[in-house]
Amino acid sequence: MDATAAASPSAYAAPAPRESFWRRNRHYLLLAPGVIWMTLFLIAPLAMMVYVSFWTQTTFAISPTLTTRSWEMFLSSQTYLDALLRTLRLWLTVLALTFVIGYPTALFIGQFVRNKTTQTVLLVACVIPFWTSFLIRVIAWRPMLGREGAINIVLMRLGLIDEPIAVLLFTELSVIIGMVQIYVVFMVGPVAFMLSRIDESLIEASRDLGASAWTIFRRVIFPLSLPGVVVGAIFVSVMVLGEFATASALSGRQVNLLGNIIVTQVGSLRWALAAVVGVVLTGVMVVVIAALLSLVNLRREL
Amino acid sequence: MHHLKVTRGALAVYTALFILFLYGPFVVMGILSFQKGPEGGPQFPILEWSTFWYSHIFGFAPPSRIAPLPIGQALTRSLTLAFATMVVSTILGTLTAQAFRTKFRGSGVVFYLVVLGMMVPGVLLGLGMALVADQLGVARNWWSTAFVLHVVYTFPFAFLVMLAIFNRFDQSVEEAAWALGVPPGRTFRKVTFPMIFPGVLSAMLFAFTLSYDEFPRTLFTGGPNVTMPLAIYGTFAVEIHPNLFAFGVLTTLFSFALLTVYGVLMGASVRRARLRAQGVQEDIA
Repeated sequence: MDATAAASPSAYAAPAPRESFWRRNRHYLLLAPGVIWMTLFLIAPLAMMVYVSFWTQTTFAISPTLTTRSWEMFLSSQTYLDALLRTLRLWLTVLALTFVIGYPTALFIGQFVRNKTTQTVLLVACVIPFWTSFLIRVIAWRPMLGREGAINIVLMRLGLIDEPIAVLLFTELSVIIGMVQIYVVFMVGPVAFMLSRIDESLIEASRDLGASAWTIFRRVIFPLSLPGVVVGAIFVSVMVLGEFATASALSGRQVNLLGNIIVTQVGSLRWALAAVVGVVLTGVMVVVIAALLSLVNLRREL
Repeated sequence: MHHLKVTRGALAVYTALFILFLYGPFVVMGILSFQKGPEGGPQFPILEWSTFWYSHIFGFAPPSRIAPLPIGQALTRSLTLAFATMVVSTILGTLTAQAFRTKFRGSGVVFYLVVLGMMVPGVLLGLGMALVADQLGVARNWWSTAFVLHVVYTFPFAFLVMLAIFNRFDQSVEEAAWALGVPPGRTFRKVTFPMIFPGVLSAMLFAFTLSYDEFPRTLFTGGPNVTMPLAIYGTFAVEIHPNLFAFGVLTTLFSFALLTVYGVLMGASVRRARLRAQGVQEDIA
């Protein structure tokens, strides 16, 4: 008994000598291209960004003399701190809304539609809008929300309002509406997927044990769908935190997010300051994603 | 039970409203693309129905103060870029996922290194890459600096798709082929590849569409020659016209065509697999 237990791990540790070098190191060779690519084009640029955030900014150029000037400028500027707060507020709002609006749809598709074909058709129907360019999807909200936009026209025809609602366009509200519509599908997809994987017998068992529909949802269905919610939340967070196009197109450049500031600073060749904002944004992202990942093991859910 | 029916009905109505919310802007966009030109703006009311903006896109409209969308070359660049990105990230994704079929030390680190590529906001990566290129004195171009970032973005999607495929993959079939003396290359072509083909196709589809529409990663790294999304973004800075909407309608139709091709290929692959299975069964019988 002892002998076999001791022998079997060593059999794994020391491969048979006839195994070729290629066989033994196969996975390293397979991994190398991807790992090298990511190191050069993902890690290096991010490291460079952190490094440059400490460089000295002159009017049109940056020089590699280390300084904390740009950081001081960011931390002492009300405009930038406001942008940080606005980014966080908008992210939380959009995240909450995508969850609240998306979950019932996912619940319907994942739990109430039992026919696989209908399920697929509904999911595809949700994805089809993605086949139009992101920027055109954003700009399509303008004729929807404007003073003479479709929503105001419909509401006035119905006699629900007398005056067109002006706050619909070129405000933070329009940015929120646009982002929710664009990103809500990223919440619906993963949640519907998790819901459709729930073993029917679990629900039947709870029903047989006398649980009410609400209890079943609260104690069985919702907890099992949580990994989907977390994956969806990661998708939405990543995209909303890095946003700038929706904000500038639907707010008439009134709502400045951290992303907008980066774009503006790069536009005026103030690389060091752009890098500072980039590092701040990275910090926010890391905290958010780490928090979300601690709730669910992404690798196990595949 | 009655309770459940009510919930089901309510959720069905809700889902219908939800889909309406998703499609609302498209319907409006579709309607406004038939606005009268060149006087009509990108808003209601429709002055007069016309297809002016469609002919404007193709350069058939009589000259007016509204510049045509700079799409010809931009579209070619975007398609080329998307194609190259698709090929490279599908290969990288398949190789990396293949490596993950055996357990090895540091797999967690590699996994998160790859997945990080889809998690870092594009604007940050674009900024970082622009800084690197600037310091190395490398010119920024859509086919160089932008291309590598597109792969960084789409490779994780291809990797995850392939990983999911390999997880559901019966390894004993491959082993049987090896045991029967089929060389590894031939095994891959005749056994492994047909089995993972639907996954490869999905990975390619992901990579192509994500790259084709990618904008924040290209903004700082695309260089002087714009891709399609950059061309569209450029028109935002000035006034927008209904030609943008007409273009949106056309691209949607193009995407539908692409999706149909994907569906047909996928269907054919499934059918072929079923036929082959039948053939094998008949052989046995």
